[in-house]
Amino acid sequence: MSSPLRVVHYVNQFFGGIGGEDQAHVGVTVRAGAVGPGRALETALGEGARVEATIVCGDNFASEQAEDAARTIGDELDRLKPDVLVAGPAFGSGRYGLACALACKVAQSRGVAAITAMHSENPGASSARREIYIVPTGTSTTSMPAALAALAPLARRLGRGETLGPAELEGYLGRGVRRVHDRGRPGYQRALDMLLDKLHGRPYRSEVPYAAPERVPPAPPIADLSRARIAMVTTGGLVRKGNPDKQVSANAVRYHRHEVAELESLSPSDWEAYHAGYFNHLVNSNPNYILPLSFLRDLERHGRIGKVHEHIYALPGVSTPVAVSAGHGRNIAADLKAGGVDGALLVAT
Amino acid sequence: MISAIYNFALTTGANRVIKGARIEHVCGDPTLSPEKDYAFGMRIVTRALETLTTAVAGPTLFDPMTPGTTPEADHAS
Repeated sequence: MSSPLRVVHYVNQFFGGIGGEDQAHVGVTVRAGAVGPGRALETALGEGARVEATIVCGDNFASEQAEDAARTIGDELDRLKPDVLVAGPAFGSGRYGLACALACKVAQSRGVAAITAMHSENPGASSARREIYIVPTGTSTTSMPAALAALAPLARRLGRGETLGPAELEGYLGRGVRRVHDRGRPGYQRALDMLLDKLHGRPYRSEVPYAAPERVPPAPPIADLSRARIAMVTTGGLVRKGNPDKQVSANAVRYHRHEVAELESLSPSDWEAYHAGYFNHLVNSNPNYILPLSFLRDLERHGRIGKVHEHIYALPGVSTPVAVSAGHGRNIAADLKAGGVDGALLVAT
Repeated sequence: MISAIYNFALTTGANRVIKGARIEHVCGDPTLSPEKDYAFGMRIVTRALETLTTAVAGPTLFDPMTPGTTPEADHAS
């Protein structure tokens, strides 16, 4: 019979029983044995595993004095020498999630296996999921039993020095790790099997992960266009002639904002397109095809719209990862909002 | 969003989508005379502006060639 598994548990000031937000500043302390959710964790870990100690740290301390916290947690782990560190679960709590991620990274840097649990959109998960094992949970403590039930068996195995299998089978958040392995049947056979399953209405599972596009609630309609400030955005790669701002032609790492307050329309002698995803020659003869300034000026003159916004936004919308594009979109939208814009026309090539 | 590949726009979640002319000339058509090209582009742009005054529940396609208050219901699935 092997020796019992030695577990150290990391929790914040709240779960450590010190207090709520008013105690979030407290530094790192260590209690013998299990505290708070650690008792349920110990039960979930089952026979042959014991929570030797609980490291407690205030969430503000862990985020504001991360280096101090990391050093002290590291020292305690060196002293306690556990088989595995379990942190959290942190659920939807952002600072706690970051602290759990920090504790896991410290443990791993000292050769101690570590695992935590939190909601997949917790900042701790989005920032550290590639480096540590994170079991997804709900956003609130009501999912504690399920979280511990999922966390405990993985913690046991990590503590025993086992390597976990793929994220989708084991149930932790994918770390973006690809490993070469043999699926038994070559790709063309699997693809045809999948196609036959699809045609026969049988269940099948794609080997290509699919991330459903984000749904954004539609903006409410503009009540009166004749008083509205309208902006223009293009993904057609509009640049000043000669591309002095050095826009790339694909995979935009940034967007470009240009001033058009003095312009009646976009002249082909001053503007052109630089975009690797379509033939640019027609836009180069009339840039208003992708940024309809001439039309909006006309409508502005006739009082159909209130005002043409003085800035336009441009980038080449091609070969750009969705996450990067979403970031550009959010930043442009924030800029438009700050500029008092009521509505925007986005021309996509 | 004005786009000639409007199905992409709809399936990726754009809520107000206006059919553009072609990828290379979204707001207009250089094969037409300059006057007709401008009028065609203006039709697309004014339709786009109209959609901003129209409530939508989700991704909805608007066709500049069939103006009216009832958009083509095209909730992408």
